[in-house]
This record gives sequence, structure tokens and C-alpha cells, in this order.
Amino acid sequence: MFVRTQDGEARGVLPITAHPVSQGRLCHRGWNRFQNLRSVNRLVKPLVRDGEGMKETGWNEALKLSGEKIKDLIGKHGPESIGVIGSPWLSNEDNYLVSLLARQVIGTKNLDGSYRFGAAATLSALNQLYGEGIGAAGSIPALKDSPAVLVAGRDAHRDFSPVGSRIVQAFKQGAQIILADASTGKADHFYKTFIPVPADRLPAALAAKRDISSEVLDLLGKPGAGLVFVADQLNPSASVLALINYLIAHRASAKDLPNILALSRSPNLRGAWDLGIRPPAGGLNLEEMLAPESKVKGLLVFAEDLSVHLPKAALLEKLKKLDFVLWAGRFKNDTAQGAHVVLPLPLFAESEGTLTNCEGRVQVSRPALSPRGECRGLSEVLPELAQALGKSLPGGPAAAIRKEIGKAVPGYEKIAGPEVESEAGALLAPPRLASAPSKPAVLPALESPDKFLLLIPNTLYAWEKNRMIAESPVLCIEYQAERPAVKMNLQDAKDLKFRPGEKAKIRSERGELQVALQADEGVPRRTLVLSSHFLNLVEGVAGKGEIDPLTRSVYFPSMLVTVEKA
Amino acid sequence: MDRYIIRKDDLNRWVEALARTQEVIAPTRVEKEIFFAPVQTGIDLNLLSGTAVLPYLPAKDLVLPHSENLFKFTKKGGDYEITVPEDKKTTVVLGIRSCDTSGIFWLDKFYQENFSDCYYWQRRNNLTLVTMACNQPAKNCFCVCCEGGPFLDSEQGEFDIQLVDLPDSYLVECKSSKGKALIEANSKLFAKADPSAVKTREVLEDKSRKSFPPDPTSYMSAAIRRITSNAVTPETWTELGEKCFDCGGCAFVCPCCSCFGVGYLNEGEQGCHYRFWDSCDYSGFTREVSGHNPRGEKGERFKRRFFHKLSYQYLKRDGRIGCVGCGRCITACPGEVGMPSVVERLRK
Repeated sequence: MFVRTQDGEARGVLPITAHPVSQGRLCHRGWNRFQNLRSVNRLVKPLVRDGEGMKETGWNEALKLSGEKIKDLIGKHGPESIGVIGSPWLSNEDNYLVSLLARQVIGTKNLDGSYRFGAAATLSALNQLYGEGIGAAGSIPALKDSPAVLVAGRDAHRDFSPVGSRIVQAFKQGAQIILADASTGKADHFYKTFIPVPADRLPAALAAKRDISSEVLDLLGKPGAGLVFVADQLNPSASVLALINYLIAHRASAKDLPNILALSRSPNLRGAWDLGIRPPAGGLNLEEMLAPESKVKGLLVFAEDLSVHLPKAALLEKLKKLDFVLWAGRFKNDTAQGAHVVLPLPLFAESEGTLTNCEGRVQVSRPALSPRGECRGLSEVLPELAQALGKSLPGGPAAAIRKEIGKAVPGYEKIAGPEVESEAGALLAPPRLASAPSKPAVLPALESPDKFLLLIPNTLYAWEKNRMIAESPVLCIEYQAERPAVKMNLQDAKDLKFRPGEKAKIRSERGELQVALQADEGVPRRTLVLSSHFLNLVEGVAGKGEIDPLTRSVYFPSMLVTVEKA
Repeated sequence: MDRYIIRKDDLNRWVEALARTQEVIAPTRVEKEIFFAPVQTGIDLNLLSGTAVLPYLPAKDLVLPHSENLFKFTKKGGDYEITVPEDKKTTVVLGIRSCDTSGIFWLDKFYQENFSDCYYWQRRNNLTLVTMACNQPAKNCFCVCCEGGPFLDSEQGEFDIQLVDLPDSYLVECKSSKGKALIEANSKLFAKADPSAVKTREVLEDKSRKSFPPDPTSYMSAAIRRITSNAVTPETWTELGEKCFDCGGCAFVCPCCSCFGVGYLNEGEQGCHYRFWDSCDYSGFTREVSGHNPRGEKGERFKRRFFHKLSYQYLKRDGRIGCVGCGRCITACPGEVGMPSVVERLRK
């Protein structure tokens, strides 16, 4: 889309009708995207800690201080005492440099992205299947001609309008549209088949043909069939892999791979993943870096507001224990409050860089506005920081960094070519199966007549802390802050004689929790939904969760619980 | 109403002459997209032909921009200094199509209904619309169903100037004093129209009315009747609402949609108050402070939107339905529930 400007300020946006993905259509976040470009909560100057507060400083001073602190920690505790956090809110070029900073300049393996890196399970599963280069594993435009589309995880076609639009078009052409989502009691009318089971039980449900007929399964095996993963809802990776393997094993033609789209609300999650923003073997993930017993003493956070994933008080407590925190970002936020050095970065609309979408399309985002205040891009800043550490990093224009990426990152050869500059961008090469489909390991269905099924979906964001939302008067009304409550079907709440807001005692094999109950017509019968964002509540009933062996991140499996009045 | 002829070769001369004294805005191609943009000379006559060319956004953007500052404030001592932006430039929009002109005249009614919106009228009073009649509709056009075009009625229609693309010239129909001023300032370029030109206009209009593509053309009257008599079932609204993505795109690209929201940007002791396009598609549009939302369900919001657009209650009050048939909602809607498909569904 275009950003429309007047007097150097963003005043609106305009979709591009000729774009093969958007086709001139935007979601509500897209239409209101210009509003956060005018935010008054931007960081415009480097800041350094001054007692309890922060004071403005110059770039040279901020980088010099950062270099000294990092060098000091490396000297005292070794390079593994530093953790580096990249972000799906950075361009491919920036994430590439962040990754090089960690691996080559500092020499640490402690590199990660978001705390609950939403799509890690799905992308890890795809890596297992296709090898390191996932490439163009899916095609959004082709979705409309699919014989069948399975939407797994959550009904979220509205949140991803280009994909949702193709699902509606496929429905109009007679495709079988299937929704697998345990957290809703009723699917929209164009989902002809509805499988109300949690993601981790989905392969078992398909194998047992529960809620789905053989004919529909056969359609999913036909060439061009679409698998749309609302990826941040799918855990663990073994279940995702089992699901894909099951469908690949049932395909009609051995040479056709399903059209797989792993959706995420972050703009460049796929790019961040491909560019290496994840812990390599032997490295710590963000949770481990922030753990009380962690060896990490210094944390360099690039564009990621950690408070989106952790409650503010807990975050500040954890950051306080670190000897040095550098935060490079765009807005004043909770992470900045806990940092020792804050560096202001330009927004996507103020700098050039590439983003990779969920189908593996790499596109250039060009600046429509000048960087605010003294904001500087990471392609300038990181080489200077590397120099302060006595090392070097490639820098310069985005196109030069793209050439480096083309040589270094598997499957990203096209990023260096002219196609990437075109309106449609460059599609990465299609993947090939790296391993034969394995026999899916399936979990049995969770059923007990006197118990409730507790689902702990990954909300990915506390929306009210997402600056794109918070800085828009329209979107901050649309995305209301979620209440710390467990949702229960309205009729179930009536049957159990719960009054609105009354506290419920929820008991599982792992623990017990007292929490306000919120009756919701949309929740299925005998089901409870508790957002994973309320970690302190979740841990009460679900313990510390499970570790996904492939992604090494924590997830909370669905479980059976009892409910009574507190 | 006066009728003139201007030779095709003279159109750009007229544009150049106009651009010397005021801003001239015309459909302009940028990369593969078409926008209303300022022009100085040499406008693309392909975009000013009888074949309908509709920029993605309607010309309402020129009187009600996507967002605009209403006033800026700065603390001075114990008080605040308020600065209201002034936009005194006069503008001619050349090549606006009949549907967009109808849309602006519809917005005029809204913005003076209960009070005169000074920001809107500041721009509107300085705007002259030179409409281009459509001899050939585009693929999404259905203005013929909504009295939005393809030609504006010479006697009853509201416009400043209407151009009709004749084989070797343009017929110029002038209805307002603002339009007359544009012609009189360049009178050498215009000649009085003879009856044959008027006859050709009638033939072209008749031919155009018969050349609309079948898909988008809709039985508005049946939908109006069914909405007004509450004959559309809640299930139908739910079904339509389920396809709506709540994106707001249809409202933003609609020449008739007038809703806006307001926001503040405070930075220390200064800031601004601004407004921006808002949409009745959004769940927050009617949500009350208590959290109660009279139209919390998508189907209810969808019903409200189309009730406002099509019910007889508003048709009677406003003199026309809230749609001019430009077909932009078809382009913008990811859920494929633009006006024609809704009308088609409702009339069944």
C-alpha cells in the first residue's frame, strides 16, 4: 500500500489494486495504519539511564557506552553472558545484521525473537519437512482455486484479509472449507465442515475421521488443496508435523505438495525466522535468558517490546537483575523503561527494507516519510556498534545488505535480484520434501463427561500494548484489553448458577486457580478458554507448561479440569 | 443551463489556462494506479474519455480527506493558543465522473444538515466540479441503478459543468455560476453548441445506459422494498455479516459515506485535534463507554449499514439512496459483499 503524506505527516493510506496479494483490499489495521506514523510517543533521541530515569544523549555517547558495557561483560563472563533479541517488526536486512551481531561480533548463541515466538511450532515443522529453506511453501492467490481449504487453529480469516478473501472466493467457487478450532462453538456459514478439536488433537481427529468425512479428507489430498495455519495457535510442533504428514500421506498425487500458509500477525515473522532470529543449537531462548538462574548478564533487544509478552512488573523485575540492557526501538514503552541505553529506530514507513510474507514473497518497503528526530536505521547503527566492539559488520544501503543475504541465507538467492524491487516482489523458490512423511504420532481425544476442556490459546499479543493498535483512536477501540478471566459457555455458566464476574475455582492435575468467570456465547459447551497472556493465572492451573522439544519454547496443552464456585 | 462545444485539441489548453490561476486536479496514472492528483499541463486524455475511469478513492477525499487537522494548540502562559488551518485555494476537479459528483452533492446535504461543517465547506465552496459523462461504463459500474449516472441529467442533475465525449469534440453543459466563470475566463476556446451535438448526447446516453455489464447491475428497488418492510430475515443479515471483514474499506471508498472519528495528539504543551474516516463496520463504532454495544454482532452492523444506504426512510428524507453505483466497494471488499452482491442477496 501507499502511505499518503501532507506537510511531512502521514495522512492516510491507499491500497495497491495491481498487487497480486492485496488486490486493492486491506484489513482494518491496514486502513488505519497511518495513525501510528503520527504517534507522539515516538523515541526521537538516544537515551541513557540516569538514576531512576533516562536522559537524552548523543548517538556517539550512546554507542560508546553500549560498546564499553558489552565489552566489559564479555571480558568478565564470556560472550555467552550476552543475549540478543531480534524481531518480526524488523526488516530482513535489520534482522540479518542483528543475527550477525550476535553470532559473529559478540560470539553468543543466545539469540531469539518474541517470548512466545508465535509461529515457531509451525515453522519448525516446516523446517523438518522441507529443510532450512522453506521457500514459497504456499500461495495466497492460488488459494481461491483450491478444492478444499483446512483452516487450523482459529477462525481468523478477518485478521488476514488477503487469505480470508481467497477463502471466501474459494467458497463461492464450491470449495470445501474446513475449520478446526476448539475455542469456538459455531463456525461461519462458509465453513462447510467444522472440527471443534484443539490443535494438538487434530491429527487424531482426522485419523479417526471424527467430524470429517472420507470425501472431505480426499478433497484435502487433491492437488492445490490449502492448509491455512493460524500459526500462533498451533502447538506443539509434533502435532503440526503430524497433521502435515497425515495430509501429505493422503495426497492423491505424490508430486504435489499442499499449499501451506502459516499466518502470523507480525509483519515479518517469516523473514525473522528465515534470517536466523531463533536460538541455534546450544543457545538460550528468551525465556531461558530471563530465567533467575540464567548466565545472561546483558540483553540487547531490537524492536521487540518484551512487555507485550510479559506483565510489566515481572518484566521490569527481570530487567533490573541484568547488568546491561540495550533497547533499540521506535516507541516509548515498558522495555525502554527498564533499559540502560535506548536507541531510536525509524519505522518501516521511514526506511527501506524487505519483508517476507507468509507465502514466501519478499517485497521492498520504501520510505514515505523522513525518519523522525534523530532516528537511525540498524544498517548504520550496528556497524558502528560492531566497531566499538573492535569488530566489523556489513552496512550501507539496504540493497548492499540484500546481496549479502542472497549469498548467506538458504533459499534467499532472489533477494539480491531486481525482481524483489518490483511491485509484486520476488517469490522464493518452492520447497522440496527433505524427508519422507513419517507416521503421525497422534494424541487421543480428551473426553470426560464430568470435566471441562481447558484451552489456553496463545494470544500472541496483549493488543493494547501493540503500538499499531494503541496509537490509533479507531483500533484501540476495536481491540479492547482482554480481562483476566476464564471464558465459559453462557449456558454452562447458567447451569452452574454463576453470576457475571463471579469467581470460579478451576482444578487440574497440575494445580488450582481462582479466577473471574466470563460467560461467552461463542465458547463451545463444556469448554473453558483462558488466554495464555495471563501467565500468572495460567501457571496456577497448568503449571509451567510443556517444552516443545523442537522449538524449546513453552506451550500449554489443552487439559481436562473441574469447575466449581470459589 | 448553457451548452457549448470545446474542441478536443483545446481541452489541454483550457487545463493549462485554469492551472495558471488555480489548482487543477484530474485522474492521473501513477505506476499502475490511478489517483486524483494536481496537474499543470498535458493531462492524459485517455483518462478523460467517454470510457469510465474511476480512481481508487472517490473525489470525496478532496472535501473530506482520510485525515485532517482540525486545530493545533500551543500553551502560551496560562492559556492556549488555537490555530485553525485555512485552505483558501480554489480548485477545479476535471474528469470527475457522474457518480462521484452525485456523491459530493449528497455529502453537501449531510455537512449542512444540522450545522455547517466549516472544514468541509471551506474546501467545498472553493471547489468546481467538471464532470465527465460516461459513454461506456467500467466493469464494476452500476450507477444506472442508483441514478448516479452514467450522465447527469441536464435539467434535474446537480453539477457545475458536465463534459460529454463526442466523436470530435466535447459537449460542455454548464449549470452553475462557478462553472460559468471557468468558461467565461477562457471564452475563446468555447463555441455555442448546435442542436446536432445535443442530439448526439442523447444517443450516447441511451447507448451507455444499455451497455452496463450484467453482474454489478442490481435491482435496487426490490432491495429497498424488502429492507424497508423488514422482510430480510436476521439469518440473512448474519450470513452476509459473516462475510464482512470489518475492514471499513467499503465506507472509505464510498462517495456517500460521511462518518468520521476524532482524536488528539498531545505532545507536551502543544498538540492537535484531528479527524479521520470512520466506519460503521467497526465494532467499536457504536460501543458505549459501559461496554454495551447495541450493534455488537457483525450481522447487526451490516444490517444498519444497508438500512441507512437503502431504506425508504432515508430515501424519503435525503431524496436519493446512499449509493451512487460507482462499484468501488466491489474492488475494496475482501469478503465480496459489496453493494451489488448484497442487493442481489436481499431481493431474493
